[in-house]
Amino acid sequence: MSYSKKPARKSGRKREKWTDILPRYLTFISHMRPILRETRKIVSDLDADLLIDTEILDKIREEEEKRNIRKVRALSEFSAMYRSNVYEIIKGFITKYRGTIPIIDIKDYIIEFLHESIGALYILRHITNPDQKNLDDTYLYSLSKFIEERLFHKGANLRMIYEKLHKFSTEYYECQRHLLQSHTYYREKLDNSDSFEIPGISPKMYQIINNITSLFNLDPSFGVFPERPDYEIPMILKSDIFLPYIDSIANAEEESIENLAERIGMRLIDDLFLAPKEEFVNILEENNYLRTNKQSDGTIRYLPQFSNETLILHYLAFVSQRRGFLSKELINWISMNFAFLIYMGILKWKLSDENIFYSIFKDLQTNEKILPYLMKLICFPNYLGLDKMKIRDSVQYRKEIFNFIGSQIDNLKDLINEVALFCEKFDKERKKN
Amino acid sequence: MEKRTNSSWQNLLQSFEKGLELAIDQVKKRDVESIPGAKDALVQRLENMKLHFPRNNGDLFKKAVNEKIQFFFFPKTKNFSEAFSKILNSRTHEQDFIINELLNGFVTSKAKAIASGTQVPIIDRMVEAFSKRNDFHIVDHQFYAMFGDPNKPRHYVKNQLEELVNMFGLISKKLIIEKDVRRSEEKVYTFYTFPDDIIKILEEKYLILDTKLGYAYVSKNFDRNVFICMFLANVAINSDNIEKIGGSYTINGICAIFALILLLSFMPKLSVDETNPILNDPGYNESNMSVIPKSWMMRQVLEPLFEPLIKIIAYRLGGGLWLSKVIDSEINKRIHNQIRFLLKDVNKWVLGELVRVEIPIFVEIANIFAEIVVGYDKE
Repeated sequence: MSYSKKPARKSGRKREKWTDILPRYLTFISHMRPILRETRKIVSDLDADLLIDTEILDKIREEEEKRNIRKVRALSEFSAMYRSNVYEIIKGFITKYRGTIPIIDIKDYIIEFLHESIGALYILRHITNPDQKNLDDTYLYSLSKFIEERLFHKGANLRMIYEKLHKFSTEYYECQRHLLQSHTYYREKLDNSDSFEIPGISPKMYQIINNITSLFNLDPSFGVFPERPDYEIPMILKSDIFLPYIDSIANAEEESIENLAERIGMRLIDDLFLAPKEEFVNILEENNYLRTNKQSDGTIRYLPQFSNETLILHYLAFVSQRRGFLSKELINWISMNFAFLIYMGILKWKLSDENIFYSIFKDLQTNEKILPYLMKLICFPNYLGLDKMKIRDSVQYRKEIFNFIGSQIDNLKDLINEVALFCEKFDKERKKN
Repeated sequence: MEKRTNSSWQNLLQSFEKGLELAIDQVKKRDVESIPGAKDALVQRLENMKLHFPRNNGDLFKKAVNEKIQFFFFPKTKNFSEAFSKILNSRTHEQDFIINELLNGFVTSKAKAIASGTQVPIIDRMVEAFSKRNDFHIVDHQFYAMFGDPNKPRHYVKNQLEELVNMFGLISKKLIIEKDVRRSEEKVYTFYTFPDDIIKILEEKYLILDTKLGYAYVSKNFDRNVFICMFLANVAINSDNIEKIGGSYTINGICAIFALILLLSFMPKLSVDETNPILNDPGYNESNMSVIPKSWMMRQVLEPLFEPLIKIIAYRLGGGLWLSKVIDSEINKRIHNQIRFLLKDVNKWVLGELVRVEIPIFVEIANIFAEIVVGYDKE
């Protein structure tokens, strides 16, 4: 009889179904809401004068903690932490304002803030239908489509995607660019010979794309358009792009120039020149990034007039079109940004700016209980359709990427505001129907 | 001594003049402009510069570098808080954005060289570390957790932390615990914070002190620019102590960045035809942007101008000491070439035209030039 050990299954690599992930997403939310409701009832039943002495709140909290009947350790620990945070914030608020605002008003404020927070958690809890029916009527579907249209449009072909992204680039170019610039770029491989994986844009890669834009605008050479002999297209020397880099610091990028070229709509001609592909020439012409000039010999020359976003938007359209082939880092980054925008949009809609509990919602400890599952839900085919198997489950990794949520850009804040407005409109329409 | 100083300055002015001649020659040879008259405007501007800059012993440079760049970014003082306050007060939203783009790249690469195992934007992490606590301190263990490399011994990280603390001019305070709970041994915690004088300045806008609860929170205005101001103030007060400010690396980097700002400020604005599509492009905002000739961004034009200008900035900011640290090698020329692309979104490309975002430092330097040129014309 053999006692050989069964090969251990790699953790985190098993296929997770919608019915596996949704309950996990709901677990912590469904423990947060009752705590806030209990607290609201306690504060509302308490005589306002008793709130002045914050020790009373401590005693109430101790009593509440004794009633804890949850068996799962992680959950009871989370509940204790959450309750203690809520009480601490209330105490801080009372201590800060009891000298300036009548205590009865302080009590009303606290109840109002708790009420708003419960409302936000209600929306987060009912973000989608467990059976995925009437998708159009769910927040998760509508919000992910709303953001997708602006930042990561799905379309039948590259031209359509580019057009749509270009239309929204006026308002959201910085968000679009941000979506490609994963902060864990140092883990990316530029060139993966075994697959067609597309990585995000590292800071150096971004600098190189900028160099390419500048070289096209400044002093391009012109050569015969291979597909249309009567036309000339602009081209730049590959060696010029890498000229400023010393000590082989851009060696990896130089070696994978063909892959980079494909992502920004270019190709290598004679292994020397970089020039736009035929398909991209059409897109460039339609968007006024190329103008024509008839030469004395009768040939028509395409003169480049690129903007900063010209090549970056192609990269984004390319990534969107081939979303099945994205690198692990890029998938985690894109889904995290979508999850973050949806989560923050709902909070912005439901909570007033001065709500004292905002900090709990934005706390890393709360984020890491909600966002990873939201990220996975967003990856399902009905939503972004990304490979959710590539979402990492490591706690360390989550900390690494969620840490950057704090360093958000202004344009991202504008989009969160628009998501919040959309939520309000969507809610009104739902209620009408 | 006086004579030697004067001859160095004269040599620098002459080499800039030669650079201008080469640049004019290059612009005349090639035409990459699509706006009629743009090339002529640039040639005219470069000719004017050649005519007016050497006058009055390079008075224009003295005004641009000492009265503007030094005033805003390297105030002449030995008092850290005074320098910090002046730099902080010259902040405006647009100026921040651009100075940030330029200096952050430099400070980050410097910080990355210090904390090389981490590969994360170190200033952002510092901002975050201060934002997460309610006492406006960071503790050494926090730093080890953020930047430490498990494969390297602790003392290695300690040295890195010391360098970072010096770079930003932070101060340390020690807390000695007689018996720590785990091992019952004496334990020393080192806390890092901003000097008291700086905290007083930050209280106005960047720090919220809650005296009742004894908390100190950072406000939403507290950002990486506060660290950049600290870095610049540190450079300003230690300009004669090269080792303290990071050696020739810092000097070369800073002078190159300000040379670029100076050049950008000197470029003439172009008026475009009302039918030009750029005016309808959503990326172009006529109220705070202007189209400038793009030929000056060509390597052949920029190279001869850039090198003497870096030396001029070094000389005006740090005298012969800084000038001697400007490395005049082929490799350095390439690094300077990279810096022109540091401008990224600052110098936007809109439909093939180079667009300058008008920030106060550009406007102020450009004004000196306009004023002096007008003044000379009157003479």
